[in-house]
Amino acid sequence: MENASLQRQQIIASLLAQQPENIADAAMSHWEKLADEITSIVGEPGFASLYERTLHLAQSTFPWLTSDSSPLQPAPDPKGHRFVELGMCLANQTPAHAREAHSLLLTIFTDILASLIGEQLTASMLRAAWGNIASVTSGKEIDNE
Amino acid sequence: MSNKVTIRRLPTGVPGLDDLLGGGLPEFSFNLIAGTPGSGKTTLAHQIMFSLAAPDYRALFFTVLGEPTLKMLRYQQQFSFFDYSKINQSIRFVNLAPDLQEGNFDRVLARIAAEVKEYEPRLVFVDSFRSVVQSARSEGQNVPDLQRFVQQLGMQMTSWQATSFLIGEYLEPEAESSPVFTVADGILWLSQNMHRNSMVRKMQAVKMRGQAQVPGLHTFRIGDAGLQVFPRAIIQPAEMVGQVTTGSTERISMGIAGLDEMLGGGLPAGYSLLTVGPSGSGKTILATAFLAEGARCGEPGVIAAFEKSPSQLLNNKLSALVSAGQVGVIDTRALDLSIDETLHDIIRMIDRMQAKRVVIDSLSGFELALAPQFSEDFRGSLYRMVAELTSKGVTILMTSELEDRYTDLRFSPFGSAFLADAILVQRYVEIAGQFKRVLSIIKVRGSDHSKDIRLFDISDEGIVIGECLSEYDGIMTGHPRINP
Repeated sequence: MENASLQRQQIIASLLAQQPENIADAAMSHWEKLADEITSIVGEPGFASLYERTLHLAQSTFPWLTSDSSPLQPAPDPKGHRFVELGMCLANQTPAHAREAHSLLLTIFTDILASLIGEQLTASMLRAAWGNIASVTSGKEIDNE
Repeated sequence: MSNKVTIRRLPTGVPGLDDLLGGGLPEFSFNLIAGTPGSGKTTLAHQIMFSLAAPDYRALFFTVLGEPTLKMLRYQQQFSFFDYSKINQSIRFVNLAPDLQEGNFDRVLARIAAEVKEYEPRLVFVDSFRSVVQSARSEGQNVPDLQRFVQQLGMQMTSWQATSFLIGEYLEPEAESSPVFTVADGILWLSQNMHRNSMVRKMQAVKMRGQAQVPGLHTFRIGDAGLQVFPRAIIQPAEMVGQVTTGSTERISMGIAGLDEMLGGGLPAGYSLLTVGPSGSGKTILATAFLAEGARCGEPGVIAAFEKSPSQLLNNKLSALVSAGQVGVIDTRALDLSIDETLHDIIRMIDRMQAKRVVIDSLSGFELALAPQFSEDFRGSLYRMVAELTSKGVTILMTSELEDRYTDLRFSPFGSAFLADAILVQRYVEIAGQFKRVLSIIKVRGSDHSKDIRLFDISDEGIVIGECLSEYDGIMTGHPRINP
């Protein structure tokens, strides 16, 4: 189990290692992909309750994170992004700070998921969600750093 | 040349279920798994799915409103059949709740159809079905809409070349005259029955098109490995109790000097012998001698011990036989057993050991070990069990405790004497200020036997048969008198 948990952390680390210019946009995109995968399996209510719990737990470290009442609703703007409130919260912070918060949110969210359905299943969902944006096949490059 | 279509039967991977279905699930059939909440429907569906799914035999599992999927995944992975590596490669879960919440059945159907088209599964599950009904009612939709939905789903499922399952929550088979019952090719009904304080799970193949399922209710258990079904023993016409099915005149030795002669030359092979007597009269010792003699002649034995735990194994002689691998022990101390489950265990042990002799010690303990609802039909079930065992050609020795009564002559408390081919009675009598043990053969079907009432003793060597009490009268009253 320890290995599987490590694997999950590596998936998240490799996702964040890409140093995107705009962390808020990247975070929204990560969450959208994750939401697509997870709602297809557990449904929107399932995802929403996990997400809400994640924000609640993260607020003790980053009180400026506000609860997103409807994270899965597309924004009214033409791009139709979801997780708009999260994006706005992150955009108001320094990139380093925003990055830290984003990392914490993903860690908490996957911690909860793994505690419910196990590490293996969680890791396979993360791979399915971010397979093409995170080099997650092994995570060796992270070990070598 | 036959142009008839051959229907492939899929092994379900659930122990005992294929037998109950009459040889597995017909491929491309549309099945309903129905039952009360908590009866094991989703577990059954998952067990079948994980057993059959493979990269070239994919499965789609739609979840509707029923159990939250997170919970389902959390609990189902506790079972040993749950295989992570199959998820996504061979198995995909799809949640339909958002589509259904909009209340548009056509959209749900379209979504299901689209997913099936894209994934091309060979197995499709929709869990659970009652929730479709309920959500429709709560939103005040027309029930006819729902019926149409179910019928269309059934028809769609048939044309996909997939074996499909609807998992539905119902309270009673007839409670809901749902159209899905008509459309379905197979209906499996699961229930939990409470009786006094014990719960027994039962399964019924209500319908299985095109094949001979085993009728009636069958018990099953849910353990770490998932479901295990114990198809109920049904007497085949050829295996009527009391018929000498082996057709041989072979007789087997009881391993007690003098007893074979009393039986008219040993116990006919394939017979069932009922040994009746009060507590401490030596029934288990007799049974041990029977098994030991079998071991000596190269005939392995099986004992179903309902009275003592394996740690205090009956007696030294028996434990020696067990550790030498000549006798297999079925220890059944649970108090919610079914006869079929016990029979299943005994038969498996007989097959494994190639056993020729079986001891059930005792019927009284057996009845106690059963769940109360089976105790009520103990005689009937015992009848089926004895028939099933004797049809395998084994010789059975059953013991039965019976308090000494000196006013009437009875052979068993269950009225089960009729199903034994031979009966041996042990009892205490008072002679010259001592309790003495006597035994007598009451019946050996189709054979001459001794009518003597003989004294016997239990020594370190076992049972030693003594003289005949020919000079006494009224022995069975417990107060023998010397003949004048």
